[in-house]
Amino acid sequence: MAASFALTLAFAVFTLLLPAAAGAEKIKVVTTTSDLRSLVELVGGARVEAAHLAAPSQDTEVYEPRPQDLQKLRNADMVIKIGLDYDLWIDTLLKNITNADLRRGGKGYLDASTGVALLEMRATGFAPPVGHSHGAGNPHYWLDPVNAEIITGGIMEALDRLDPANAKLYEGNRAAFLRQLKTKIDAWKTRLAPFSGRPVVAYHNSWPYFARRFRLNIIDYIELKPGIPASPSHLAGLVKKMKQAGVKVIIKQPFEPEQIPKMLADKTGAIVVSLAPSVGSVPQAGDYLSLFDYNINALAAAFAANL
Amino acid sequence: METVQFLLVAFLVAMLLTGIHTYFGIHVLSRNIIFVDLALAQISALGATVAFMFGYLPQSPAAYAYSLLFTLAGAVILSLSRSWTGRISQETFIGVIYVISAAAAFLLVDKAPQGAEHIRQLLVGSILTATREDLFNLLALYALVALFHWLFRERFLLLSLSPREARQQGLRVWLWDFLFYASFGVVVTSSVAIAGVLLVFSFLIIPAAIGIIYSADISVRLLIGWTAGTVASAIGLGASYYWDLPTGAAMVCAFGVALVLAALAKPWFFVSKEQRRQAHDKTRSALIIAILAASFLSGAWLTFKPHADQPLLDALEAWYPAIRAPFLTNEEREIFQQAAVSAANVQAQAQQLNDRERNSRWQGAELSDEEVRKISSYVQSFQEMQKGEEFVQREIRNKARERQRWVVGIPLMLISYGLFLLRR
Repeated sequence: MAASFALTLAFAVFTLLLPAAAGAEKIKVVTTTSDLRSLVELVGGARVEAAHLAAPSQDTEVYEPRPQDLQKLRNADMVIKIGLDYDLWIDTLLKNITNADLRRGGKGYLDASTGVALLEMRATGFAPPVGHSHGAGNPHYWLDPVNAEIITGGIMEALDRLDPANAKLYEGNRAAFLRQLKTKIDAWKTRLAPFSGRPVVAYHNSWPYFARRFRLNIIDYIELKPGIPASPSHLAGLVKKMKQAGVKVIIKQPFEPEQIPKMLADKTGAIVVSLAPSVGSVPQAGDYLSLFDYNINALAAAFAANL
Repeated sequence: METVQFLLVAFLVAMLLTGIHTYFGIHVLSRNIIFVDLALAQISALGATVAFMFGYLPQSPAAYAYSLLFTLAGAVILSLSRSWTGRISQETFIGVIYVISAAAAFLLVDKAPQGAEHIRQLLVGSILTATREDLFNLLALYALVALFHWLFRERFLLLSLSPREARQQGLRVWLWDFLFYASFGVVVTSSVAIAGVLLVFSFLIIPAAIGIIYSADISVRLLIGWTAGTVASAIGLGASYYWDLPTGAAMVCAFGVALVLAALAKPWFFVSKEQRRQAHDKTRSALIIAILAASFLSGAWLTFKPHADQPLLDALEAWYPAIRAPFLTNEEREIFQQAAVSAANVQAQAQQLNDRERNSRWQGAELSDEEVRKISSYVQSFQEMQKGEEFVQREIRNKARERQRWVVGIPLMLISYGLFLLRR
């Protein structure tokens, strides 16, 4: 009797401990941006423990890595980057990591841009030493929600390589997410449909994928080259162009300067709307889906307020 | 009309900045503390950052109060630094204040959303976006500071120009130094927010330096500095509009050119006839030697490295392309011509495809991912072809250069060397 009780107890303790033990072996994923982190959490669910390096409130392209980033990478099983020269600093950091899986081509290394139909591709070199000429496209591809299908596909394959036992789980998570995303995309498109083709001006060329998906006509940019302030002739030309085309909305990212958009708005009667480029850029954009909820609502409200 | 409006406020602000900074610049140059404005600007930016961390918006009264408080603290340190300096110069303290407040601001702002941009805006400024309101605020503030300095002009000038005498007269050096740095800090805090560090530094140092080059009298220095500063600002703004350049950087360069011209023109003004003649002779021989040296070096460079960049020949060919023709066979000339036409052709085709993709984002039928990929790969092929055509052109140019080295390079070297020997 006592023995059977002890056995039951032991079994109970064992079954209680089992999930805990499995939990301790979570796959540690480090991503460069918060968007990739959100997507890897959606696919990996409770099996992954993800962290991102660049603060979403700042410009990822000029992120300055910190000592703790190295610590995070040392403990990581998997690294995901945006690629296309958007987060070049991650490869510099990875040179200090001995884990060969995290090197380019390793089973824990993922360039999320693989397979995405890129916009604004440029040939970067004449006669490359090996293979085909690699071109760098515009890197803001995660801002087209349809591309999440390709990105999560890459993430799922990478997780399968590291943890084949849970392949079914990842596939299920991804399918559920994509179903939800599809309904969302339809709703977002409907929300913006009345404003399709409206001319807008963006601070910087960060929104081509977003524009393609939601049918925005971005006619020009305030800052043509990152970090170089616009010249007075460019701005005077822009004012003229905005008045001619009837631009009512100027798009900027939260970390981009306020003065010039404000000045242009004053001169043309447009309004400035701040859109979040990444999960966490604004408090309302807590994950990949709410990032678009926030942006679509902000944009629709701006168009509606300033017809 | 639009353009004039665009630049008018910026120009008036620049005139105001020139006015007050030239005056302070004369002080700063006599005290030999050139970078004091950077230190004060940075410490006031630190104050604004602290205010930002406590949740006050930039440009709010609270943010301004924090900036002012930090600036005054900086003024206290700077006014004390005069008595500390024995073996190390005052500039040492200034540099230390600058780097520490810059680094501290970065550490603070790293934790704040929109941090880096906030700091950048404090230091880069943007004179183009200055509003009418900014202009009147600056006018009121600078008028007050100018009045204060006018009332106590003798003490301030004595302290900057001959501090030893000031001490002998029993002036409270510490107090007047503090008042000087405090009023200067107030000016710099407001001007840096509008024009940015680089431009304010130019406003402060360059017109004052030009004034000092030409005169020992304070009012003449001021008049010359104001004129030079106003002219340089106008030219900088005009150039920035005309050539489509970032305004702040264009203005700083215009100030630099003004200083160089003023220094070069110095031997012609305020001198005797004899001195002017000497200056004329010296300039002429210096120019001739410079031209001979440039042509000798170009000749040598072409002879030894015909494939490298040849600035002189490039400039000549850009101005008069037929110079290359005699060094090519008919066939080569034709290939060169065809390559140029073909390069322009493929470039236009790539442009056309890019425009098609761009327009499809918002009008007509949406392109599928497959179509986007197809366009991308065509565009890249066209760009590769364009580079290929440019490569052909470069190869032919190199052939011409190889022939030019015997006909142009060596004779150029010999002739310029010979002329140089003749002159001696």
